[in-house]
Amino acid sequence: MFEDIPVEVGLVYEGERIRKEDMRVELGGPKVSEKFEIILVKGQDEIEDGKIFIKGQDLSELEEGKSYPIGILVEVSGEKLENDLEGVLERRIHEYFNYIQGVMHLNQRYDIWIRVGKKSFSKGLTSFMQIGSALISLYRNELPIIEKIQITFFTGGEEFKSYYHKAMERYENRDSRARGLLDEEVDTFYGCALCQSFAPSHICVITPQRYANCGAISWFDGRAAARMDPDGPIFSIAKGDLIDCEHGEYAGVNEHASRRSMGEVDRVWLYSAFGYPHTSCGCFEAIAFFIPEVEGFGIVHRRFAGPTVNGLAFSTLADSTAGGRQIEGFHGISIEYMRSVKFLQADGGWNAIVWMPAEIKNTLTGIIPDSVVSAIATENDAQDVASLKTFLIDNNHPLVSGWREEESEEREIETGYSGNAPVFSMGELPVMAGGIKIILKNAKIYAEKIIIQPVDNKNLKSGGK
Amino acid sequence: MNKRNIHISLNEAKSSAGSLKGLDIQVGKIKGEFWDEKEGPTPFPDHIDLRNWDRTLLARYKPLYLPFCDLCCLCTYGKCDLSGGKRGACGIGMEAQQSRIVLLAACIGAATHTSHGRHLVTHLIGKYGRRTPINVGGSNVDVEAPVIRLVCGIKPKTLSDLETVLDYLESQLTELLATAHTGQESDPIDFESKVFHAGMLDHVALELADMAQISVFDFPKADPDAELVKLGLGTIDSKKPVILVIGHNVPPAVDIIRYSQKHDLSDKIEVTGICCTAIDLTRQDPHAKIVGPISWQLRYIRSGVPDVIVVDEQCVRADLLIEAGNVSAPLIATSSKNCAGLVDRTLDNPDDIISDLVSGKVPGVLILDPDKVGEIAVRTAVLVKETRRTKKVSFIPTDQELIELAKRCGGCMECTRACPNETPIPEAMKSAALGNFVSLAEIYDSCIGCGRCEDVCNKDIPIHNTLVAAARKKVISEQFFVRAGRGAIQDIEIREVGGPIVLGEIPGVVAFVGCANFPKGVSEVAEMAREFAKRRYICVASGCSAMAIGMYKNEDGQTPYEEYHGRFEAGGIVNVGSCVSNAHISGAAIKIASIFAKRNLRGNYEEIADYVYNRVGAVGVAWGAMSQKAAAIASGFWRLGIPVIVGPHGAKYRRMLMGRKDNEEDWYVYDTRTGEKVYVGPVPEHLFITAETKEEAMVLIAKLCMRPNDTSRGRSMKLTHYIDLYKRLYGIMPDDIHLYIRSSADIPITMKEEILPIITEKGQSDQIIPDPTLLTSQIRKRNGAK
Repeated sequence: MFEDIPVEVGLVYEGERIRKEDMRVELGGPKVSEKFEIILVKGQDEIEDGKIFIKGQDLSELEEGKSYPIGILVEVSGEKLENDLEGVLERRIHEYFNYIQGVMHLNQRYDIWIRVGKKSFSKGLTSFMQIGSALISLYRNELPIIEKIQITFFTGGEEFKSYYHKAMERYENRDSRARGLLDEEVDTFYGCALCQSFAPSHICVITPQRYANCGAISWFDGRAAARMDPDGPIFSIAKGDLIDCEHGEYAGVNEHASRRSMGEVDRVWLYSAFGYPHTSCGCFEAIAFFIPEVEGFGIVHRRFAGPTVNGLAFSTLADSTAGGRQIEGFHGISIEYMRSVKFLQADGGWNAIVWMPAEIKNTLTGIIPDSVVSAIATENDAQDVASLKTFLIDNNHPLVSGWREEESEEREIETGYSGNAPVFSMGELPVMAGGIKIILKNAKIYAEKIIIQPVDNKNLKSGGK
Repeated sequence: MNKRNIHISLNEAKSSAGSLKGLDIQVGKIKGEFWDEKEGPTPFPDHIDLRNWDRTLLARYKPLYLPFCDLCCLCTYGKCDLSGGKRGACGIGMEAQQSRIVLLAACIGAATHTSHGRHLVTHLIGKYGRRTPINVGGSNVDVEAPVIRLVCGIKPKTLSDLETVLDYLESQLTELLATAHTGQESDPIDFESKVFHAGMLDHVALELADMAQISVFDFPKADPDAELVKLGLGTIDSKKPVILVIGHNVPPAVDIIRYSQKHDLSDKIEVTGICCTAIDLTRQDPHAKIVGPISWQLRYIRSGVPDVIVVDEQCVRADLLIEAGNVSAPLIATSSKNCAGLVDRTLDNPDDIISDLVSGKVPGVLILDPDKVGEIAVRTAVLVKETRRTKKVSFIPTDQELIELAKRCGGCMECTRACPNETPIPEAMKSAALGNFVSLAEIYDSCIGCGRCEDVCNKDIPIHNTLVAAARKKVISEQFFVRAGRGAIQDIEIREVGGPIVLGEIPGVVAFVGCANFPKGVSEVAEMAREFAKRRYICVASGCSAMAIGMYKNEDGQTPYEEYHGRFEAGGIVNVGSCVSNAHISGAAIKIASIFAKRNLRGNYEEIADYVYNRVGAVGVAWGAMSQKAAAIASGFWRLGIPVIVGPHGAKYRRMLMGRKDNEEDWYVYDTRTGEKVYVGPVPEHLFITAETKEEAMVLIAKLCMRPNDTSRGRSMKLTHYIDLYKRLYGIMPDDIHLYIRSSADIPITMKEEILPIITEKGQSDQIIPDPTLLTSQIRKRNGAK
């Protein structure tokens, strides 16, 4: 399979790192400003199948220890290929390079950083021809939908420049298409059953505007995976009739959920954390949690270590959902979903968000609407519900105007059991019973749970249903 | 079961006026309303409650007996020869007898950890109060006690809650031990099932003990970036007074640290440790030093460096009083489990005790109060340091002496026969006699420090000392790092690895645990851990194995703990801590079920074990397993469905639990979605198996990480490593690949051209990947399904 390359090619080399002292030559990387790798889908007759071209110097001609510009252009064709799959196919370049013993590849697109190790070079890995041939074998073996493939390596020169600019343009086009693609514009969503190996009743639905909860699979990834392996764990879902555009309910999605969950989940609202929310697996990147006191959502991501505004940490909040259940008000999501205009659309979208860690708020600059961005608190603004309320009022959060008059009404509040502190402690406690007076001195009474109930017990607001 | 629902204590009560003082009322103990998780079928289970689960596993993994001894000599009927199908006077057969001994070992192990936990909890409650809260990792650990939740069905909040758990353990262990009496259990499989029960109890005890000490002491709390601590003989400053602590139960060592801190002596003395007390000592104080695993006891003491030796319990050599006496180092015993024949001086005036120890009037003392041990050990070390200057305290020969000793060797081979690792000592002596110490120094590397060679030497050569002398340069260069034991795995870390596992980026979790009875020295454990960390597995480690991993340097002079990170994710080497920290490894597996599938843990053992067995690709490696505790720890992993590989000495545990990949009918599971029986191949193939060499072990590790729920990406990655390692060791393709390839998507792409012809030849047809279970109760099919 890899007769043309003098070193081994295998998944076991994937984690291999090549240190500066061990490197023969560096391609791209921080010392070189212009570098790229790109896949373009072409017409069948535009490609010389199996051909490898080198524009500029070959590996053996590059001076030891130096860094060089690099361009990798992979052109493919096939009946079932389309431009939308380019990004997904392109990410394989990273994996495949790393399979090669003594070759390290980091990053993607215009940011690539490749090192070829001395040992492999001395074993005879001296030409891009060899690397290209390995890449071609891997592409053909893994992705039979590629019918023809040719690869060009550039290490400088005019042609490199012109392809570099073409590549940059193409990345931008792709991104704007990806960002702009609407759920309404496609007729197929994708389902992913990978997580079912650990969360058997989780039903993941991936749409252009709702990334998989894990943040690892976009609609484009789903599309590519389903095309390449129609019987695999990622498969297409005919979205069917639109039942409710605000909540994002589709007949096809419901039918799919019902079938995959053995009837346990038969309705899914894609854009809401209430009613019939998308189920949560265990590896969601963040959680949106309803804070009844302010009738809005807090958001916290996995890596936020401290307690959130309601006193609970991510791990505790996450524990209240997960496992493929539909839990109202506790909603596992991906970070990428927050970039979508459909993000919790039915619950008020960004106007319903009241708190999030500064770290993710910063990464979403430009995404969060200007009208609300300054009214969303972070851990620096509010550490508990009381200070959150004040912050929201001070910053005129859109939710504030909707708060009901009877806000101050007593509700059933359960306080958490708190370690060592006695709930009741007093120097002298007189107790009268049946004509006998008992005085307890230094009495401390511990209880596991206190329930404070209003005399007139009204129902709690059940959220945005 | 004693649930202790109410606790009232009155310090003073007057009746006429009804006056009470210092009343303390606690209501509603641990079992109660504040945990709303539904209680499963088996809270505080008896052995019988889980017998069906055990039998399900044991039907797949039938015991293969390797009698270490053909006789039974437990009662006065005996000795009874059980070989060749003979039965003993009581009627017992060979298989049941082997299982019975395994049960005894597992009970001893579990009793040791339970008693360890009882001592610790009682001590800590006495010192800090029963309401001291449990805290193993703050807000990053929501499931704080996965094993206790699972087995006992309670959520412990305070130290006193752990007493309820201890009551349960003690009653269960007594019952298990009783079954080993003559004329009780007769069936080998029932014995085996009881072994599993002892193992499960053991993990409860482990978790309990570590939770208690993590909560109270200044240990890292589930910290992936716990400090690097110094390890190795070469790190110790022998100019300072040196204290050596040995054993497992850390309070005396903690009080040594605290006493020296309080009296500004931290910089002036060296506190060093061997075995798990060393690990826990450095969790408390990262400036303390770890000498090495249990096998370092003789060599370190005979070097003369330690001035005072403090022993607690477990894995302490039984001849330490003699060894300590030889080097004029006073011995302080601190545990009722290990009194060493010494006079109990707990209540005596410290000045008197110290004077007796320093003057040599007594060789050692027994002190059962850790606080007092702290003071006496430190003060004695400072004074003894001076008196020992004038005495001969090092027994490591000089080069010239070594040559003279080596010349005495007559080459009788008794030492080699006595050596557990059959090292070629006489040959090495021959060249040492000529001044060439290279071979002798090589033997040092694989020496487990047992000293049996010396006892059989008819020329009275202190062989162990000669090995240390020959390896002098290596010994001095034993300067390593180990990451301090971090304790639990955070819930968040478990969540983080979910994606990479299903996407095939993490092929499995490998736990390097257990003692230091290594066939070829410490380096093999480090080599295995590095190999798997490099392959992006998650490696976890504990106890002596965690130290062994640290005793290695790569070409850049880095130890594996510097080379690899300490997070529970791809490519990490995670030291959880001491022996009792092993519960965090089983706990992590249990948490996966809670976190990803939201399965209830509370008293729900069978369902969770079934989940772990069918899904979590974890393997334990106890390369130097020696003790009964190691047997109990392994048994706890088996009941949870986690396979364990042991080194060559592990065969002496008397039986293996091996699957038969050629019996197709053994490898069916139910698909919970349909209730249909589905063939899934022999995954994992074995539950308990010994490997002869490191290479064989590595192939097994990769193989035993496969599970029926593997996604295709996950399976192809696991197969890649299995095939790659197999080819490297045996030079050919494994003959069973077809059993693990369910469809073409499972084939690793870089091996497609090699594998396809094999699959075609074997005529493999596509299999579905089920939602696997061994339990009919887990079948989800309902009427509502369309």
